[in-house]
Amino acid sequence: MSARVAHRLLAGAAAVLALLAVAAGEPRNRSVDVDRLARIVENEEDHVTALELAGWIRERKPGLRVIDVRGADDFAAYHLPRAENLSLTALTRAGFRPDETVVLYSEGGTHAAQGWFFLRASGVERVYFLRGGLYEWLAEVMNPALPANPTARQQAAFDSAAALARYFGGVPRTGVSAPPADDPYAALPSRAPSGEAAAVRRIRQRGC
Amino acid sequence: MTFPLLPGDAASLAVALAIGAAFGWCLERAGLGSARKLAAQFYGRDLTVLKVMFSAIVTAALGVFWLSRLGVLDLARVYVPETHVLPQAVGGAVFGVGMVMGGLCPGTSCVAAAAGRRDGLAVVAGMLAGVLVFAEAFPLVQPLYESTPAGVLTFPDLLHLGYGATVALVVAMALGAFAAAERIEARARGWG
Repeated sequence: MSARVAHRLLAGAAAVLALLAVAAGEPRNRSVDVDRLARIVENEEDHVTALELAGWIRERKPGLRVIDVRGADDFAAYHLPRAENLSLTALTRAGFRPDETVVLYSEGGTHAAQGWFFLRASGVERVYFLRGGLYEWLAEVMNPALPANPTARQQAAFDSAAALARYFGGVPRTGVSAPPADDPYAALPSRAPSGEAAAVRRIRQRGC
Repeated sequence: MTFPLLPGDAASLAVALAIGAAFGWCLERAGLGSARKLAAQFYGRDLTVLKVMFSAIVTAALGVFWLSRLGVLDLARVYVPETHVLPQAVGGAVFGVGMVMGGLCPGTSCVAAAAGRRDGLAVVAGMLAGVLVFAEAFPLVQPLYESTPAGVLTFPDLLHLGYGATVALVVAMALGAFAAAERIEARARGWG
């Protein structure tokens, strides 16, 4: 093979690899831009509410992946519709496509928030977590509550949430006294006083 | 597992030495141990330097991108030097003057010295003397050395482009430069 042919072949290979690089997405393991992540958290662009997530699931948002980061037993006992189970250690190796929207949830929210950071640090851009976790899902989606003597705004919000609740097989509650401001889930019967297993057991007893 | 595959500073230094020796061997085989070859670059007669350096940049850019994209190389562990605009501009000017005077740059001077060329040995001696003087005079030059900090700058951040698009841009520039270099050399040969 002449040097000229070899040069052309090498140039062609470089051009092909460069073009593929454009379509390959971002490299993995990029340095973590903590300032940018801090701004995202401050602007509250890191999470979704349970009602938003329920809306996405109901309207079958394209590319949505709902990830339950709890243990396999807890996942088997109860999980959100369309959810898949991935542990935190499996999360960063899962390989999400750039067009996918990833929503993480855990029982409370701490593990999901940590998973959010791991994925952002791994270069996944469209990732959110359910801030209040399963508790928020149960309180806001499965068992939305309408306080006694509601305002028009509360009534409208409840009607919307109740429609979602019925879609997911939940039971809207009416005439509920307002929970204390520092514990919005106090009135929820499934609230676990201690531990994830107890929460799941109560959830199962309630037949959700 | 991600690179570096060998744990520990000593092993990393051994890898760096091996890579440096391989780079030196490539430079020598490309003829870059000769000051005449480097000088011919500036007259447009022989653009080997440009082609070798752009080949190295393309190889490194594609290699780093794909190795990191495939999860083999941890980009977070690749050191990117901070930019200091004024001292680096001054350093670049000093470097340019030294290269014009010696006909060699630091890497090629080491290659020339290893090949036994006297001009290479002279440039290496001058370079080491310069390092010594700089180290001894550091308190004097420290204000300049630390001035105009701009942080870590990378082309993807500056151009607001993805890593892949930036790599493609660099490769396109290199292929264009190779084609232009061939034409310039052919024209120079026609004139010669």
